[in-house]
Amino acid sequence: MMQMLDRGGIRALTDEIRAADTDNPRGYLEYERAKKTKADPSWLPAARGKAVKMVSALLYDLPPTEKYRIIFMNRDLDEVLESQEKMLKRLGRAAAPRDQLQQSFGIHLDRLYQWLPTQTHLQVLQISYNDLINDPKTEVDRIASFLDDIPAREEMLSAIDPALYRNRKPDS
Amino acid sequence: MTKVSIDSNLYERARQAAEKAGFSSAEELITTAIETELKRLGEADAERQVADQLRGLGYIE
Repeated sequence: MMQMLDRGGIRALTDEIRAADTDNPRGYLEYERAKKTKADPSWLPAARGKAVKMVSALLYDLPPTEKYRIIFMNRDLDEVLESQEKMLKRLGRAAAPRDQLQQSFGIHLDRLYQWLPTQTHLQVLQISYNDLINDPKTEVDRIASFLDDIPAREEMLSAIDPALYRNRKPDS
Repeated sequence: MTKVSIDSNLYERARQAAEKAGFSSAEELITTAIETELKRLGEADAERQVADQLRGLGYIE
């Protein structure tokens, strides 16, 4: 998604501290200060009009002093956990048992989905990772409309690489 | 049904509060309170586990 937005003309806010690796061969496009927003939100005004990558748990930290468009990427939870387990293994770190994490992420997402519509500073578009791979044109249209047609659709489409859809379930 | 002992003063407070809040009995209020607390604890555990996983991946600090 970050690659798509960046190529489409919504520049990714990144410090390039986390370099590309086997798990993310095109790079992470992350911004370290986004992880510390709760303690220090002073970077936010400079991020206006740009794309910032955040995991769902950090959305709670966004202060209502700004307005945000959230493109919420959903993916089959088994595929997410499979991918995360491989990343953790490569980092030499342990993962909790899959069934426990399934349950915990389920609770986390349920709570978040209840909370998001109550936040007037957050506008949310849900995008399925799997739909994006299977029907990119429709999903890119939805994303462009959500962002007031600012990003270029063709450029966004050109950033989608189904070869990077790894850790997929056998029936996907 | 398992029986649980609670302080009689606390039970009386629960009975009065249940009546005021429209519960059918003190038992119903106490059951609701236990269920609410168990849900809260379960959610806190789940959020902690998710945070640990995301921290391990470098996505949060």
